[in-house]
Amino acid sequence: MSDTFPLVIDGQTVQARQGETVLQAADRAGIQIPTFCNDPRLTPSGACRMCLVEVQGQRRLQPSCAWKAEPGQVVTTASERIEKHRAVLLSMYLADHSQDEAGQAADIATGNKLRAYTVDRDDLLPLAPVHSPRVGRADDNPYIAFDPDRCILCARCTRYCDEVEGVSAIQLVERGGHTTIGTAGMVGLLATSCELCGGCIATCPTGALFEKKADPAPDPDETIVRSTCNFCGVGCQVDLRVRDGRIAAVEAPPPGTTVNDGNLCVKGRFAYDFVHHDERLRSPLIRQADGSFRQATWPEALERVASGLKKIRDRDGGDALGFISSSRCTGEENYLMQKLARAAFGTNNCHQCAAT
Amino acid sequence: MTNSIPEIRDADFLFVIGSNTTEAHPIIAMEMKRAVYRGATLVVADPRAIWLTEVADLHLQLHPGTDVWLLNAMAHVIIEEDLVDHAFIEAHVEGFDAVAAAVADYTPEQAEQVTGIPADHIRRVARQYATTERAGIYYTLGITEHTHGTDNVYALANLVLMTGHLGKPSAGMNPLRGQNNVQGANDAGASPVFYPGYQRVTDDDARQRFEAAWGVPLSPFPGTTLPAMMEGVKHGTVKGLYVMGEDILLSEPNCRDLEEAMNRLEFMVVQDIFFNETCRFADVVLPAACFAEKDGVFTNSDRRVQRVRKAVEPPGDARADWEILCDVARGVGYPMPHYAHPREVYAEMAALCDKFAGIRHERIDQDPRGLQWPCPTADHPGTPTLHVDGPMRGKALMTPVTYRPSAELPDVEYPLILSTGRTLYHYNCATQTRRERHAPLTQPENFLQIHPWDARRLGVAHGDRIEVRSRRGAVRARAQVTKDVRKGCVWMPLHFAEARANLLTNEAGDAVTGTAEYKVCAVAVARVDQDGDEAVAAR
Amino acid sequence: MERHGAQRHRVLALLKEAGGVSVASVQRIARETGVPEADVWGAGRFYELLSHPDVERRVCQGLTCQLFGAATLEGTKVSCLGQCDRAPVVLGRDLGVVHYGMPRGGVSPADPDLPMDLGGPDTADYAGLARARELGVAGVLDALAAAGLQGRGGAGFPAHLKWRSVSEQAVTERYVVCNADEGEPGTFKDREIMLRRPHRMLEGLAIAAETIGAAAIFIYIRGEFPEEKASLQRALAEADAHLGHLDWRFVDGHGAYICGEETALIESIEGRRGMPRLKPPYPTVQGLWGKPTLMNNVETLACIPDILVRGGERFAALGRTEPGTKLYCVSGHVGRPGVYELPLGVCLDEVVDAAGGYVGTPRAFSPGGASSGFLPMSARRVPLDFKGLPAHGSMLGSAGVVVLDDTVDMAQAALWQAVFFEDESCGQCAPCRLGTQLVRQSIGRYLGTGDPAHFAHLDEIAWEMDQGSICGLGMVAALPLQMARRHFPQDFGPRPPGATMTGGGPA
Repeated sequence: MSDTFPLVIDGQTVQARQGETVLQAADRAGIQIPTFCNDPRLTPSGACRMCLVEVQGQRRLQPSCAWKAEPGQVVTTASERIEKHRAVLLSMYLADHSQDEAGQAADIATGNKLRAYTVDRDDLLPLAPVHSPRVGRADDNPYIAFDPDRCILCARCTRYCDEVEGVSAIQLVERGGHTTIGTAGMVGLLATSCELCGGCIATCPTGALFEKKADPAPDPDETIVRSTCNFCGVGCQVDLRVRDGRIAAVEAPPPGTTVNDGNLCVKGRFAYDFVHHDERLRSPLIRQADGSFRQATWPEALERVASGLKKIRDRDGGDALGFISSSRCTGEENYLMQKLARAAFGTNNCHQCAAT
Repeated sequence: MTNSIPEIRDADFLFVIGSNTTEAHPIIAMEMKRAVYRGATLVVADPRAIWLTEVADLHLQLHPGTDVWLLNAMAHVIIEEDLVDHAFIEAHVEGFDAVAAAVADYTPEQAEQVTGIPADHIRRVARQYATTERAGIYYTLGITEHTHGTDNVYALANLVLMTGHLGKPSAGMNPLRGQNNVQGANDAGASPVFYPGYQRVTDDDARQRFEAAWGVPLSPFPGTTLPAMMEGVKHGTVKGLYVMGEDILLSEPNCRDLEEAMNRLEFMVVQDIFFNETCRFADVVLPAACFAEKDGVFTNSDRRVQRVRKAVEPPGDARADWEILCDVARGVGYPMPHYAHPREVYAEMAALCDKFAGIRHERIDQDPRGLQWPCPTADHPGTPTLHVDGPMRGKALMTPVTYRPSAELPDVEYPLILSTGRTLYHYNCATQTRRERHAPLTQPENFLQIHPWDARRLGVAHGDRIEVRSRRGAVRARAQVTKDVRKGCVWMPLHFAEARANLLTNEAGDAVTGTAEYKVCAVAVARVDQDGDEAVAAR
Repeated sequence: MERHGAQRHRVLALLKEAGGVSVASVQRIARETGVPEADVWGAGRFYELLSHPDVERRVCQGLTCQLFGAATLEGTKVSCLGQCDRAPVVLGRDLGVVHYGMPRGGVSPADPDLPMDLGGPDTADYAGLARARELGVAGVLDALAAAGLQGRGGAGFPAHLKWRSVSEQAVTERYVVCNADEGEPGTFKDREIMLRRPHRMLEGLAIAAETIGAAAIFIYIRGEFPEEKASLQRALAEADAHLGHLDWRFVDGHGAYICGEETALIESIEGRRGMPRLKPPYPTVQGLWGKPTLMNNVETLACIPDILVRGGERFAALGRTEPGTKLYCVSGHVGRPGVYELPLGVCLDEVVDAAGGYVGTPRAFSPGGASSGFLPMSARRVPLDFKGLPAHGSMLGSAGVVVLDDTVDMAQAALWQAVFFEDESCGQCAPCRLGTQLVRQSIGRYLGTGDPAHFAHLDEIAWEMDQGSICGLGMVAALPLQMARRHFPQDFGPRPPGATMTGGGPA
């Protein structure tokens, strides 16, 4: 199964693996082929036409995302013909896309590949706008928004919803220029089988699908911190997008790089409001004689904790105390909690809620 | 999990029992659905028609609490039709004969009477499971939250062992952990019987190892489990509690009793990110940092140690739990080292545990996929699949189990069986998800699923306000009339603080683990008028 | 419990049965078939007859009907209905013709020497099928090769290569599909075969199925052809003694021209949106449900019995520049529109001669449906065949010949064709979805303003549609405009806003 074989891409001999597409082989060789509709988790559809290349012996340009690499194949990804194809195709996409004041494709925080591919090109055609007669869809779901005028109909979202999420809440509807992303009866997502995982947002290359909660405008000062989701036991990796010291959005790392393969669920992706919630505890609280709590400093509170626990330990022994650790806290914290119980109080009375 | 999450998509047969995977572990459900689309056979055993049954080949809608009957009957078929893996048993298993004898009476026909699953379905599933190489078993709290939870797990393990589905890709025995770091908390020794790395506190060698490292003598006596601790609180033998990151009042069963006992506690510290229900009984409340505000590791269901990284500052004076714990230890006179960073804490633990000896933050930082233990040395790549060279501890022991009914069964006064569980949009006590400002749109209030047959009998219509009573308490909910539940069975989510399902559930615990029977208790349901809304939980 | 999606192929038929797409019908069908609601909705909304089931009057907007005043008729505008010989045509609610401009067109006079002989009696002796059994698989393939039969659907691909390819596949579960989804504007030949010589076609299908060992035969028939379907079903019942041993399945089209494209047609049989697949793999290798599939056009199949009975060499010799006879559909400004079986490779003048001669002064013609663009009368003696026409930037296609006299504004004619392609684009790939809109917009704006600047960049767009589209529809959709601009530049110059030109000058 270790079979690799050579093929030639842009004059360079590249080793491809069995079953690999030209796009994948090129990508591993560092040859970037532009594409909108390719997502490694999905069956290639070849629909966006952005990744067309010349394959020797083929009269027509072929989609590299779907074209299987073959031994000895000669592929060209950059030529006058391909450049012209890309320029005209991108011009056509742009004519059907909402534009900013500068006539560029909208700039959005989650990235807009159409903008990335067009912003520095000087060979685009100034085409008249296409007014595709798409119908909109009202949607009162709290998380997922859709702007059909930023949609290039690559169908990654519908294929993701079907092939990966296995939900099929959305689908291409209508045809021709009327084609758009819709639901049965064009109802809002809450009225469908949608599980609000937001995977459609993550796979959308142009930001047509976007988070209602997050500011769609890009922020150059944004930082991204890789962490682990704090909900269930799958251990999804998350990229926390941080702006002004707050979590602005949560995204999955790229497909194929982590255990969650680019996927998240509704909780992992959207349920982060608790982090900055008003009701978060901000200072230690100490119960007063009248039974009410008052705010306290850390030294005060720690002193009260130490004396309260010590008193019982010294009088009744450590086994009169119980230490309840948490599967919500980190491994290090669980280690320290049991060490506290065992080393500082001499008891093995340490447990946590979920033994499963 | 004996196997890894990424292996699921390559399985050819998936037996999912007691796991509402789509709602509780959506990402694992996605992997399962992928396997199905590839052509795998999926069998779901659950009293409810959970979402996953929509893509399943077969739904075994068993009567709650009769899992042992189903699993033993499957074993019966496998033995009767000689589908056992003799070579594997010969080489790696002890106790097969005892199990064979124990399941001899568990015929599928008898099982049909008890479980309500057609005998030919049991036969079909048993055959397919035994004869498919890449066949995995996946389960969660639907198996363990019973008085016979340990029996259920043994019965599953017996199936795995007699068919040799161990140490093979996309097979094995796979408990899906309900919380982010259940595995990691157990690994780290948050257990009355184990030090970190599953070293027994009663093992002298292990104890000496930890005494040497920590510089103090340690207790050789096993501690008490959480349920026993709660009993201790009620009986006054436990006088002080230090509670970190748990809302025990919400999450422990029969919380009304516990609430009264809490008042008798001499001293309690609660350390959390929100002022939870348990805080009401605390003497000191310490504000903690949440996962996004600190560094450390979580260990997931497939033993994968991954990094948690600080992204934002904690609010106000809140501090990371690890910092607080160190200060408390020093406050009571124990010389806890001054760790500069959790990586030093981890290194200390790993040095004491062979299973994690090769794991360090610095290594995980290099690999976005994390490291799966066992990982004994610094150059060990981790272990995605356990027991590849046979069971880790020499020969695996099969344990015969016999059916025991659930502790509380329905009767005239409480004629319905209540199970509790999670929903997709909420998490545990919902301290986090209900603070999600949009969550009310998806699931605003507590509900009870009830079969149309029962609903009609009780004069309850879809959307009616109802009261659910058990021997321990009562809560209000909205009726959701659906055929997703069996006749005679009702189901309620556990997420709603103002209508706590755990006021109803039975604290009767599993004989071994003490885990409470959240999945089966007897209740009565009645419609209430709108103006009765005030008198919640008054019985 | 059914496998996920195993009932998907029933979705479109169930939607038709339910009277079209509605929230209620979609929910019920999703439950019944296990196909997700959104998929049922999305599939149904792709098809004109399912998304707009309750239309009282469907007015054909095909080129020929437009030439004869379709714009003045009331009703819902729809793409070409394949009734060009009776232009202009309106269908009623039950898809029967309720209005037409002239009587049904003619066909070649009966002549037993003709392989299809539309004017002759529809004999049902199934001698071709018997002969095929005598010859065996190799013999049948050899006869086809000797006949040099090229696919009559439009591409002209040698039939024997297709048949051979399917019969050589390792996978033994195979299907035969008859493409009876005729819909190219100007084309109505398959209609005449199905009405007049259904046995010919069925016999061809039976021979195909036995030759390649097909598990089932699918006849995908245009939804607007209920009469034709009934004719085939009648014939099938009549010939039960010859055909009853085979598994025949009729599948309705639901109003989508693109489903004439073979892979879109397969998707449609499978119950999906009719969006063409990437090729390769070709249907001969992976077709219906991934199995090797032989798909032929109605006319191709109708040629088969004669080839087997009288020999491939004889069939080949009937052609002029290429093998065999060909059904030419003639409409527009001619004396007797209809379907004429002539030697393959005759020129326009000969075709029109068979069709009663020119009416008025001919100025332009479309040799093979909308996809073939327009040619000037200077090409009137060019052989109308598969290999020669591409040299003139055109193609034989379906041989739907439309003649335009000197009263026609070629910009207007180009707009009619552009509207057709825009309406029928499946929307899957951008070059076609956006290109067809840009082409139609440019002509419309030009006609509105008279300013040729609206054709700026049309060459590049047309080039990209040809280069970048997934299927043939997008590749040719700019041809009518581009060829009209090339051959009739006087109709595309500056003109007063809103003006109409005829014969190269103001009307």
